Amino acid sequence: MYLTKNQERLLAGEKGNAIAKMMKLIVKIGEVNNADKLIQIRSAQIAGVSYHTVGDAIFSFFELLSSDKVMVKVPSWLNPAGMDRLRWKEMGIKTAFAEKQFEILKHYEEMGIDTTLTCTPYLIGLIPSFGDHLAWSESSAVSMANSFFGARTNREGGPSSLASAITGFTANYGMHKEENRIPETFVKIKAETNTLSDFSALGYWYGEMLGDSIPFFSSLRSFSIDEAKMLSSAIAASGSVPLFHVETKTPEAKKVKITEIENKIIYTEEDKEKVYEHFNQIKDYADLVAIGCPHTSLVDLQLISEYTQNAKVKENIEVWIFTSKLISQDEKASRLIHELEEKGIKIFTDTCMVVSPAVSDKFKNILTNSAKAAFYLTRDGTINVNLLSLSEIMGSVVQ
Amino acid sequence: MKEVLIRPIVDGSVEGPALVSPIPISFFGGINPKTGEIIDSENPLYGQSIADKIFVFPKGKGSTVGSYIIYGLRVNGVAPLAFIANIAETIVIAGAILAEIPLVDQPEEDVISFIKTDDYIKLNTQKRIISKKE
Repeated sequence: MYLTKNQERLLAGEKGNAIAKMMKLIVKIGEVNNADKLIQIRSAQIAGVSYHTVGDAIFSFFELLSSDKVMVKVPSWLNPAGMDRLRWKEMGIKTAFAEKQFEILKHYEEMGIDTTLTCTPYLIGLIPSFGDHLAWSESSAVSMANSFFGARTNREGGPSSLASAITGFTANYGMHKEENRIPETFVKIKAETNTLSDFSALGYWYGEMLGDSIPFFSSLRSFSIDEAKMLSSAIAASGSVPLFHVETKTPEAKKVKITEIENKIIYTEEDKEKVYEHFNQIKDYADLVAIGCPHTSLVDLQLISEYTQNAKVKENIEVWIFTSKLISQDEKASRLIHELEEKGIKIFTDTCMVVSPAVSDKFKNILTNSAKAAFYLTRDGTINVNLLSLSEIMGSVVQ
Repeated sequence: MKEVLIRPIVDGSVEGPALVSPIPISFFGGINPKTGEIIDSENPLYGQSIADKIFVFPKGKGSTVGSYIIYGLRVNGVAPLAFIANIAETIVIAGAILAEIPLVDQPEEDVISFIKTDDYIKLNTQKRIISKKE
C-alpha cells in the first residue's frame, strides 16, 4: 500500500506510540482488504460509548491514548451512551454504572470528541455531503450516510473509527470505491409501505435474507428521511450491507444500469406480514413502549403527539421515547416534549433501548415500531417484543 | 515437523502449546479480559485460559468492543502468545495490533483440522510459516 512521507513518519512513531498504533491499525486493515492507499476523512462517528457494551476493557485503552495526550484530527462525535446524562436515576441506573459512564464520556471529551450521544448525527445538522469519505461506526448511520446522502463509509468498528478520528485517515477499500457500490439485487416492492414500521419491516426482511448483497429497491412511493432511517437501521441490523439504492430517490440510483442486475426478487404483502408475525411474541401484557431506534426526529415527536391527543398513558405500562439532546432542545421539540411528559410519556436523551441496561433489566414485554430494536432486544431470549406501527402502539396505551 | 504457509498480519516469532477453538470466537462476552478465560458456555473450551497459549480459531465474530478486550488481556498480563485464524477480521486485527500479539491468517490448510489443542506450534512471520512438532 502506498503511504505518503507524512503517513510513514506517523507510522514510525514520530508523534508518539499511541498515534503510531492507530496508524498501524488503519494500515493493516487496509492491507488485509487490498487497499491501495489511505484517504482523508471528513468526519468520524464513534461507537463503543455505553458502559453496558464496552465494560472495563476500554479503560486500559484510554490510558494508552491519554499517555500521549492524543486529540482527534477531524470533527468526531459519539454514539448513544448507556443512560440519560441527567435523568439516569429515573431510568433505574445505579450510581456505580453512572460513574463509569461519566468517566468514559470524559475520556472521549478530552480527545476533542463531541459528546452528541446519538445514532442520528444527520438529524442534528451533522449532514455528510455527496462523495465525502467518512469513518462512521453506528451501522444505521453508516447505511444512511452511504444510501441517503451518497457519502462513503465502511461499517467501521469502535476502535477503527476512533483510529481514523485520531489520524484523519481511513484505508481506501470497500464503500470508498465506486466499483463496490453497484447494486447486486433488484427488489420490486409490491407490498404497501404506509408506516414507519413498514419501512423497518422491509429492511429487516431484506437484510435477513440477502444481508451482504447491495439492493436496488424499485417502486417505493415515498422515501422521507424518517422512512429512510427506519429502513437503514433494520437492514443494517439483520444484514451487513452498508448501502442500498432506491429508484428515483437516492443520489446514486440514477447511475444504476437496472438491466445489468442479474438477481431479481419481489417483496410481497406476505413477506411483510411474516416480519410482523416473527415479532409478535407477547403472550400477556406489554410493560413498556420503546420508541426511538434510531433516535426520534422532530417529525416522529409530532406524530406521537398527534396519536396521543387529549389522552394519558394507562396504568401498568410505561412509555419511553429516546432522542438526542440536541433534538430535545429544539424550540418546537421542547414544547412537544413538555406536552408528552404531561401525558405520562418519558422522553430520555443520550441513550436508547439497545445500549442501556435500564430497558433489559426492568422490562419483559416491549412494544416498538423498530425492527432493529426488536432484533437486538430479543437476541438473548429473555424479552418478548411486538412490532407494530406507531399509531397502533400509541393508540393502545393511552386512554 | 509439518509446515504450513500463512499470511502474517502482526509480526512475531513465538512458540508454545496450542489451544484450539473449533467455533468462531467473540472476544466481547466470550473471553474474560482479567483472566484470559473462555466464558462462552457454548464453546467446548469453556473455563480454559488463552493466556500464554497459541490461540487458534476459525474466525472472529461479534461486537467490535472485542478489540478492547484483546488489549485488556495484554494490560492484565494474560495475553496469548499469538493468534492463528483461518480468517482474521477487523476485530481481531485491531485488537492484535493494539496488544502487540502476533497474528497470522489464511493458512494453506484449515487450521482447525491440522492443529489440535496442546500441539507444540512455532510461528515465524518472517518466513510466513507455522510449524507443528510431530
